[in-house]
Amino acid sequence: MKVFRRFAIFTTAATYFLIFLGGLVRVSGAGLGCPDWPKCFGRWFPPISYRHLPPEYDPNLFNITLAWIEFSYRLVGLLVGFLIAVLAVWAIARYRHTPKILLPSIIAALLVAFQGWQGGQVVLSDLAPFLVSVHLIIAFIIASLMVYIAQQAYYLEYRDTEKEAVYPGWIRNATRLLWLLVIGQVIFGTRMREALSLKIEQFPLASGAEIIAQIGFIKYLHPLLGTAIVILTLIISYSILKKSRTPSPLAWQTAWTLVGLALLQIVFGIVMSFFGLPDVIQTLHLWIAGLTSGMVLIALAAVTRQKER
Amino acid sequence: MSERQKYPKMLIWLVATLIVLAAFAAFVVHQANLSRSNISVWGELPDFRFTAAHNGEPFGLEQMKGKLAVVNFIFTRCKRASPIMTTNFAELYKLYKNSDKILLVSITVDPEHDSLPVLREYARANGVTDDRWVFLWAPTEEVVRLCEQGFMLPADNLPLGHTTKFTLVDGDGMIRSYHEGLDRDGMILLKNNIRQLAGAL
Repeated sequence: MKVFRRFAIFTTAATYFLIFLGGLVRVSGAGLGCPDWPKCFGRWFPPISYRHLPPEYDPNLFNITLAWIEFSYRLVGLLVGFLIAVLAVWAIARYRHTPKILLPSIIAALLVAFQGWQGGQVVLSDLAPFLVSVHLIIAFIIASLMVYIAQQAYYLEYRDTEKEAVYPGWIRNATRLLWLLVIGQVIFGTRMREALSLKIEQFPLASGAEIIAQIGFIKYLHPLLGTAIVILTLIISYSILKKSRTPSPLAWQTAWTLVGLALLQIVFGIVMSFFGLPDVIQTLHLWIAGLTSGMVLIALAAVTRQKER
Repeated sequence: MSERQKYPKMLIWLVATLIVLAAFAAFVVHQANLSRSNISVWGELPDFRFTAAHNGEPFGLEQMKGKLAVVNFIFTRCKRASPIMTTNFAELYKLYKNSDKILLVSITVDPEHDSLPVLREYARANGVTDDRWVFLWAPTEEVVRLCEQGFMLPADNLPLGHTTKFTLVDGDGMIRSYHEGLDRDGMILLKNNIRQLAGAL
């Protein structure tokens, strides 16, 4: 049990690292570092010099830095896919009578295989903004499944978690609402990025602030909903930390983490709108969104656990 | 695990991870930007004076200065390469519809047939409504000279032997890159270079 839980946590961390790398590939403009898929310039390892390019590729297209950024990302993706596959096999072998672990493990394994193929379509479409968003949403779903598996494995090991805890009654529905709002916010965020990347193509001379000015109502909707999410997060976390009797250590840690992530996200949002979308902040903003959705899920499972038993 | 932890260690770990990842991201983005920034200079475009189809006035290097220009060589009767090259130009024309700093230049390699009215009709048929995309006319020997000595591209057996390369010329009249005008890879790289060089205008 302990080994499985640790492996699940490790796989979850690896999945989040992969999401971070995916964001990094995008902001560094390395998405087409390998113009083909699954190979890179027709080879399984990217060429180290343009002299090694197969003749059908335009040597101008080859940029060794971008090729290796993209290639490393694919390699880590393959590794994470392998970890999730091992987790699913493990779940089938040992936890086939625990549907809360078995089902998400199998779904995650199927999704991650699909995700690999879909990532190829993203490259072959020259990074069509909509396909990029689909790729991101699937990644977040996989990460959420991993978080859920790790948490259920933890509960199998520590069965009495939440036994003593008493949370305010309204907190369950509030956390459900928060989770929905976070999902909506992630989708708005990807829409915002789609709109921005289309405008950046059309206005190659414009600065980040000018680009933001060009996009529609979503530039108000996204920060507004973000503010609402932060307020709701603060209320829920405060209730877990101060208004509950003996909250579990997991719930206590999660509540603090949610507060920290919410405040960071607001700071990053402000930095992005006033300082023209700095690349690194974009990556972190997206990554924290992924972490937040996972953390809200932990909080949700924690505060509803007692009622289920 | 029954005792409550006294400090939010999960949050502290995440923030520490975040700082490490931010430094890593900054390094990777910096390397990626460095790798793209060195778009070499192939040569300087010599002065020339052709005729623009849309207004019949002289058009040359002077009109290209201060803008990023993409230049191709086509002829309207062409059945093979030119239609694809023009389709790709039309895509760029649409893409950059909000940027008057990006200029598309199509030079005819068949001046006998492609008179100014023929070029105007060809432009209209391809959706050109303003002077962000110009069609230029000059006698064959001047076209050959500019193509071979100016753009350093082959111009044998015109019109059929025209080059399929797109040439990117920066705001100072310097030739910055050549791109295959018939395929997707060439267009990707051209758009990337436009974005890089646009920053310098």
